[in-house]
Amino acid sequence: MIARRWFAASTLAVALLTAAPTLAEAATVPVRVRIIKGSRQGPAAVDPRLADLRGQLGRLAYVKWDQVGEHHADMGLGKSVSLPLPDGATLELTLVDAHKNTVTFQVRVPARLTNSRLTISKDQRIVHQVTDEKTGEAYFATIRPWP
Amino acid sequence: MTVCLLFAPMIGARPGDLTGEEASALAEHLASCNACQGRLADEEVLSGMLSEALMAEANRRDFSAFSDEVLARIPTLERAGARTAPQGGMLRPILGWVRHHRLLAAASALAPTLAALALIVYLGQGSAPEGAPVEVSSEGRSTMVLETSEGPVVLLGDLEPEGS
Repeated sequence: MIARRWFAASTLAVALLTAAPTLAEAATVPVRVRIIKGSRQGPAAVDPRLADLRGQLGRLAYVKWDQVGEHHADMGLGKSVSLPLPDGATLELTLVDAHKNTVTFQVRVPARLTNSRLTISKDQRIVHQVTDEKTGEAYFATIRPWP
Repeated sequence: MTVCLLFAPMIGARPGDLTGEEASALAEHLASCNACQGRLADEEVLSGMLSEALMAEANRRDFSAFSDEVLARIPTLERAGARTAPQGGMLRPILGWVRHHRLLAAASALAPTLAALALIVYLGQGSAPEGAPVEVSSEGRSTMVLETSEGPVVLLGDLEPEGS
């Protein structure tokens, strides 16, 4: 009797360990999306709220950066969120895949006929241009999972 | 007499026990003290008798069969141990259970292996992929992706004129 219970407990433990990745993937991923504006003109300045993006923004020709919007969402696998952009277009963000340390997003801007699929690790973020550049200014979306 | 009490413990000392000064003082005293000369003679006789007696006793014993006797005692000890311990030790009931529950025993042995395998699979799935894949498609415009250690930067190019 004791042996049977022990066997059942072992089987349950194995089943739980096997199912753990599935359970982890089923959980939602908290995502922070910021809409930022880059300008080629004006004094070089980065909005203090964008300090964590300096490494990525510094690679671009835009010298002045401001945050114009911020959104938070708990995204389930395969779920999408639509976010309005300053020019009236819509940003569609979909959580395509999620693992323990990596996550894959689909970033779509239907008005721009743009569709990106990007996989990043837990400590990375995506910076994605979402509008065309006009008069030296363009809007970007920055996406960070597990902020 | 007081001087004899001082030298009496030195009489019969083994070579090296006395310092040079003590040895020369003892020799000087022995040369002039009959009582201590007598003690030295007794000591030498007694020492000789003792060593001779020990050697005689040792020679009387026959050690040729010593190793055989020790080896002969080993099986006896094993038999005595077997009488005090349970038949087959602690292993016998376990082996008996395994014989009667072969399937359970096999499954029980397999469980830790499966658990380890599941853990390896779980950890393997969590690892970051080599070179995070980036796919960008855009109709009618060029795109550029900058890979940085902090994540990708996707830039949209200008709209291309139709027919280009």
